[in-house]
Amino acid sequence: MNKIFLIIKREYSSRVKKKSFIIMTLVGPLLFAGLMAGAIFITQADTQENKILIVDEPGLITRYSAEHQQFVPNCLDCYTEDKNYVYRFTNERLADTTFINGDYTLMVVVDEAIYEHHHPTLFYKKVPSMNVTQQLERDLEKAAERAKIQSEGLLDYETYKRMKVDLSLNKLNIVDGENKFEQERAGVGMVFAVIIFFFIFVFGAYVMRGVIEEKTNRIIEVIVSSVRPFELMMGKIIGIALVAITQFLIWVVFSMIIFFIAGSLFESGAFEQAASMQQQLPQNADFASYLAQQEGFQLLVAINWPLMLSMFLLYFVGGYLLYASLFAAIGAAVDSETDTQQFMMPIMMPLFFSYFLAILSVNNPEGTAAYIASFVPFTSPTVMMVRVAVGNVPVWELIVSLALLAGTVVALTWLAGKVYRVGILMYGKRPSYKEIWKWIFYKA
Amino acid sequence: MTALEAKSIHKSYADHIALNDVSLTVEQGTIFGLLGPNGAGKTSLIRIINQITGPDAGEVLLFGERLSPSHIAQIGYLPEERGLYKKMKVGEQALYLAQLKGLSKQEAKHRLDKWFKRLEIDGWWNKKVEELSKGMAQKIQFVTTVLHEPKLLILDEPFSGFDPINANLIKSEIMRLKEEGTTIILSTHNMGSVEEICDNIALINKSRVILDGSVKEVREKFHKNEYKVRFDGNMIAFATALWSGFELLSKNDDGEAIVKLGEGKSVNDLLNTITPSVEVKEVIAHIPTMQEVFIQAVQHENQPS
Repeated sequence: MNKIFLIIKREYSSRVKKKSFIIMTLVGPLLFAGLMAGAIFITQADTQENKILIVDEPGLITRYSAEHQQFVPNCLDCYTEDKNYVYRFTNERLADTTFINGDYTLMVVVDEAIYEHHHPTLFYKKVPSMNVTQQLERDLEKAAERAKIQSEGLLDYETYKRMKVDLSLNKLNIVDGENKFEQERAGVGMVFAVIIFFFIFVFGAYVMRGVIEEKTNRIIEVIVSSVRPFELMMGKIIGIALVAITQFLIWVVFSMIIFFIAGSLFESGAFEQAASMQQQLPQNADFASYLAQQEGFQLLVAINWPLMLSMFLLYFVGGYLLYASLFAAIGAAVDSETDTQQFMMPIMMPLFFSYFLAILSVNNPEGTAAYIASFVPFTSPTVMMVRVAVGNVPVWELIVSLALLAGTVVALTWLAGKVYRVGILMYGKRPSYKEIWKWIFYKA
Repeated sequence: MTALEAKSIHKSYADHIALNDVSLTVEQGTIFGLLGPNGAGKTSLIRIINQITGPDAGEVLLFGERLSPSHIAQIGYLPEERGLYKKMKVGEQALYLAQLKGLSKQEAKHRLDKWFKRLEIDGWWNKKVEELSKGMAQKIQFVTTVLHEPKLLILDEPFSGFDPINANLIKSEIMRLKEEGTTIILSTHNMGSVEEICDNIALINKSRVILDGSVKEVREKFHKNEYKVRFDGNMIAFATALWSGFELLSKNDDGEAIVKLGEGKSVNDLLNTITPSVEVKEVIAHIPTMQEVFIQAVQHENQPS
């Protein structure tokens, strides 16, 4: 017992003292925040200027204005124009070369039969962003709608607008009337699932590399003359788990610090803006009560955090132990990292499968696939996180799922220990699966 | 007193037998040479003594007790294929290995200071292993093997990788440990060092012990009435004189020859035969070297008969 502690200590301290670990731990959250901000910036802030030419061949939505000496839209306020959106109108489509060489970025052709086929054609030189096409669709839809109303003459546009009804479903779970934001909560669960996947993937590989290092260094024989191979394997797995937990906790603390700094920078501005624009807050309202009205905040409150976090810890540890023991066995079976490919497949497949299942189950967190996968030990660590976040998981299901995971961890660790014990002292030819299978039955 | 006793050890792997009825006895305070060709089973035996693996049958007694995990601290093992953690500092690494053998940190540090001074490596404490030369790393390995003052020391090719000066340094440390009462098992292919420092040997070939005893006994056993003769005079005359009853095994231009006595012939007969032809300066029994013993024994064994 004392020896396994020594091994854990060495595995832990030799890793957390590494420059790469310190850098990754400090830079990780900043990198994350940077990536997130970058992604948001790219999708949201489309700064590209769009000069759009609407070609209204039948003259449905435009007319020629003698006053301006050009075509103008029938409905001016249908088009959202700002510095990134400039609309121009005409009744004849440009020749291809004129369009290509001209400064219009997009050309939309509305033809005679637009009310039948509903598909105006968009010509582009560079693929426009989703935001641009969606905006364009909305604008044209409004203009076409209005033109049709006017042409049929049954009612005026103002009346039509008053009569038009838009619906969006307000979802309510009948089992516990409190439930809201099911999809969003599944999304939060997915984030936890991805974190678990990421840590298993990265730190499982550390276990494997650590074993290979000891083998290629040839220090292994000295060590196993002092400790049992199983102790060495477990010491390594546990030591690296502690490194993972350390890194995770530092990331959480760092992210919170970044969140609060960024939050306090935006807080005053956002609050004032909200207060002045929406005017739904009393003058003396504070930030907290503002926050309480925001959807995001309600979402966070709707999740059972004590359960979520304790399950996260259990599935994190369980999932890691499950895969780490397999990684250790692979490391012991080969002589160098280049030989690992063949054996990585059977481990990587369930691991990636669990990742995709978690992502897919966001769409249908209470479907059969998610239900089954949340019991299978190879996928339950990620998929169950999504289900727990959504709620409604009976306690017995959690217990069964965790018990299955724990049982599999014990069994696989035992098997991995057998392979490990033989493999670490074998050099030379890369073993086949058949040989590794035989190792399990070798007498100690 | 007997330090180590192996009783009919059997060990087989999936496709071959590594040890077949191997028995040997190592007396306390002696250096025991464990010899044999590559793949004969030496490493398997060493791993069994170190409890890295267990025998299929038979038992090993250490100071009269059946091997158990508590004996790990009494054994020091320097494997042939040895290495250290490259990224770890020398001092930290030595402390770690010593603690795994059950030493306290303070005690290990205290002893390391002494050893590092004695081997003149006390400036290396904070160096990383990857900065060391092979010989330097070997010295560290030797120190970590003996630091916990094992009663039984198993050294597999301890001199490989050392220059002659450092090899001598290690040799004298081994002799010093022996004088202090440590029992040492030395596995090596260097027969010169076997003659030099071993008291007893066992030769393993094809998973069996084919030869054992003291170095002197074993060499005498392989003595086959061969004598080295040094003389002044004509080699042709010398060879002619040995026409019957003797066999000239080898000769050189410096007046040295190895002669095998025929059936019923004595050294006196040899002298009587050659003194009329040449001036005899020296006749000594030609005791085969361990090198020759090794080759003869293994080749004899491997001959299909």
